[in-house]
This record gives sequence, C-alpha cells and structure tokens, in this order.
Amino acid sequence: MTLHDQLARLDAARELRGFQTQPAQMRAAGPGKVGELRLGFSMRHGRSVLHDLYRVAPLLVQQALYWDEAMPELPICAIISVGGGVLQGDRYHIAISVEEGACAQVTSQSANRIHWMDANYASQHQVVTVGPGAYLEYLPDFTIPYRGSRFINRTEITVAPDATLLYGEMVLAGRKHHHAEERFGLDLLSMAVSVRRPDGRKIFAEKLLIEKGVGMIDHPAVMRGFDAFANILCVTPPEIAARIKERFGTNFETGAPRAISGVSRLPNGAGLMLRAAGTESYDVRQEVRRFWRIVREEARGRTLPPEFLTR
Amino acid sequence: MVRLARLLQFSDSTLPVGSFAFSNGLESATQTGVVSDAESLLRYVEVILSQAARADGVALLHAHRAALAGNYDGILDADAELLCRRVGEEQQLMLTRIGRKFAELVLKIEPVPMLERWLTDIKAGATPGCYPVGQAMALAHLGADEVEAFVMHQYGIASMLLSAALRLMRIDHLDTQRILFIAQQRVQDDYAAVRDLSLDEIASFAPVFDVLVAHHTTTHLRLFMN
Repeated sequence: MTLHDQLARLDAARELRGFQTQPAQMRAAGPGKVGELRLGFSMRHGRSVLHDLYRVAPLLVQQALYWDEAMPELPICAIISVGGGVLQGDRYHIAISVEEGACAQVTSQSANRIHWMDANYASQHQVVTVGPGAYLEYLPDFTIPYRGSRFINRTEITVAPDATLLYGEMVLAGRKHHHAEERFGLDLLSMAVSVRRPDGRKIFAEKLLIEKGVGMIDHPAVMRGFDAFANILCVTPPEIAARIKERFGTNFETGAPRAISGVSRLPNGAGLMLRAAGTESYDVRQEVRRFWRIVREEARGRTLPPEFLTR
Repeated sequence: MVRLARLLQFSDSTLPVGSFAFSNGLESATQTGVVSDAESLLRYVEVILSQAARADGVALLHAHRAALAGNYDGILDADAELLCRRVGEEQQLMLTRIGRKFAELVLKIEPVPMLERWLTDIKAGATPGCYPVGQAMALAHLGADEVEAFVMHQYGIASMLLSAALRLMRIDHLDTQRILFIAQQRVQDDYAAVRDLSLDEIASFAPVFDVLVAHHTTTHLRLFMN
C-alpha cells in the first residue's frame, strides 16, 4: 500500500468527520506537512545495525548509537521532530522493521506534543515488523495532547512467533498547569494498534478513543483524578510472558497512590499488556521502566541501566 | 406474548450460565477503594455499561445481523474480533465460559442450528465462543430484534455487577435496585453511539479499570473469578 493510500485510509475514519476543514495556513498534507521515516535493522557481521534509513522532515533520525551500558549490542535511534510538535494538517508515516535475529531500540527525543488546532487534524500511521528471533523496544516518550488538539494514530504490527516486541503508548492529559481547561481538553485522541503474525492471523487489537464531551474522565474506574496513563504492549512467546507476569508485582495501594499498575495477558497467546495510571508523567514512567527491565531481562538476559538524570 | 415471556426468561439474572461467579473487576474495585459506597458503585456500573456497549455490544449487533442473514462467517468474524480485543486472562475466561454455558443451556431447551454449529466449533477450538455472539444468535432465533437484544445484553451486565455488589460491599437490595434503575437510563444513548460501528471501531478508555483487571489476577483472597 502506498503512503498516500495509507494516509487516505486514516482520513476516512469516522471520528475525523467533524474535523475536515482546511487550515488557514499551509493546506493539510501539503509540502513539508508529510513526515516520513523508515528504519530497517538487521544483523551485519555479527551485530545489529541500522542498514536502512529514509527520512522526510519533519521526522528525522540521524544515526544509530550504541549507548546502552547494559546492552551494548543494541542500536538506538531517537526520532527527532524538527517541527517542535505535531501541528494541524500534519501527516506522519513511520515504518520500523527488525530482521531475523537483530535487536533495536527506537525512542523519541522528547514528549510528542500535539498542538492546539482550529482546523483539520494530525494523523500518524505506523508499520512495525519484527522478524524471527528479533527484539525491538519501541517506546516513544509521552504524547501530550494540548487542549483543542485532534490526533489519530494507527499502528500495524507484525511479530514472528519467537520474537519480542515492547511497544508503548504513554499519554499525559495536556499541559496540566497551563490552563484550567487543559486537562483532557483535547478534541480527539484516537490510537489503535493491531498485532498480526507473519501469516496474517490477527492476534490482538485495541483502540483507545477519547472524544471531547464523551466519556467519563473522572469516574473512579476511568482516570480517578490521575493525569497520565500508559499502555505498554509486550508481544512475546508464552513461556517468556509467563516469567514476566510472575515477576511483575501489581501496584495498587489503597488510599491515594501516586501511580497504579498491573500486567494482564493478551488474547491468543500474544503476550502481555502493562496498564498504568499516575499523577505525573514520571510516576507512570517509573512503572513502565519497572516492566521494561523485567521484559528485557527475561527476553534478552540483559538488564536496564538507571535512567539518565536529564530525563 | 410467548415471545416476550421467553425474552424475559433469557434476561433473568438467575439464568444458569455461571455469571454469578464473575464480578467484572468489582471485587478489585472494592478492595482498592475505587468503589466504596452506592454513589461510586453507580459510577462504576455506568463505566462498565459504556465499555460493554462499545465492545461486546458492537459484536452482539454484528452477530445478530449475521444470524438473521444466515451468515455463519459473520458469526465467526464477530467472535474472533471480540476476543482479539479482550485483555486479561480472567476477562477472556468470563467471555468464553459464559458463552459456552449459554449455548449449552439454549440447546438443551430448543434446537437452534446455527448455535449448534457454533458450539461444535467451540469444542473443536475453531472459535472462541464469546457470550454476546451466542446471545445474539439465540435471541435472533427467539424473534428479538437487535434493539431488544442490545437492551437484554446491557441489562445482563448491570444485573451481574449489582448481584456481585451485594456480596462484596455494604449495600442492600433496595439500593442496588435504585442503581439499576438509574443506570438503565443510558441504554438508548449507548445503542445510538454504537449501532453503526464496524468491528474495527470497537474502542475503550478506562485506564483504572484496566489496572483493576490486572490487579484481580494477583490478589490472594478472591470470591469471584474476575
């Protein structure tokens, strides 16, 4: 499917029907508004390398670096958005593939800020492929939808039965100290993910949909006053999933905890899902890192180094 | 009249399909203080009804339409797509165990050829056997239209939760009936919100509930299976 077809499919989504006006500035999906990124990792001469890199601004990756002290064989790419955030009319396409036996980590430079919009919307389409025996950590930083923002994200994942993928979506409910109506003041946040095996069999799908004025944000079973949440998907073979689940202790203190988290099994033996919610982004990140460390230790026999002081 | 009587029979909370063993996260919600009184219970029921409408309800409507059209592939599709979206081993168990029991119960009472084929496929491991899908087939057979089937499904979710609440927290039968009465107000809006959705559009948003689902699998004391 061409880039144009993939983005057009997103344009047709039901939840975008009310947001089809053109920006007064540059038209939606115009020149400079369509960011494209393609990253391919494979084994070369006994080590994992970034062998394929194609980029179109505003998405940018410079090169793979090997700076993980606990996993020095891991090529790491940080996605940089030169636009300073996602704007109305932006269309992003990200494709990441990790070939047989290789490992990689893809992250982002900073929070993914979805700016306020008065016309149109922003969309992102992602295709992630993890080959036999391969290992990928794709953990972008927090998405922060500003008030009045509209963002739709579709992620199509294919994972070989013996491969492991850690893919996460972390969301902070707006710039919480910026404006009284900023918290969940977004117009639309729609994030869907589907996971298939290489033979095309769908093993997991999920869609998170938050629309303005719909839903029960502060109901105790929805956000309960928390401002951040994370859904971290770990697609991994059942025996590794069992070991991870066994080790991850549920965190749900009574009273007023700063963060809560727990791990659930995915259907069809697909793996696990970490669910977390918390007061601040760093409270949630701490839960994510706790899970991440166990996943890495069980799937690759490597641990996770301490977080940088600058994060 | 017989049609209505039978629809009432199949929406009765005493229908022996094993739903008494499930609390849909309420057990963890009461243990963690997310639900502590009648007010928070009502809000919990509302969230669960909204979630159920936007996931199980969508599958139920698709299965109902497939059953009326005699389209068995549509049944299998709704079944697989719903299970694909169910996170949590106990949530999956609730969905498929009640589904199978329901099919067995109906087939004891009345022959429904499509339901029979479905039960055979469940036993062969060819399809998961999600409750709303079986419910849709049986109700279509009994002459319920899709609105009635949807209402019965939503009612079943609410009554299961409230019957669990009686065993989990300090609340009496009068309060649970009042909560049930209020919670049913939303059924029309929920139907309107989901009737046109495709299976791919099944969506949710309840992070704390999602953590409760995980929480229940690791607690030591459990009265319910989810």
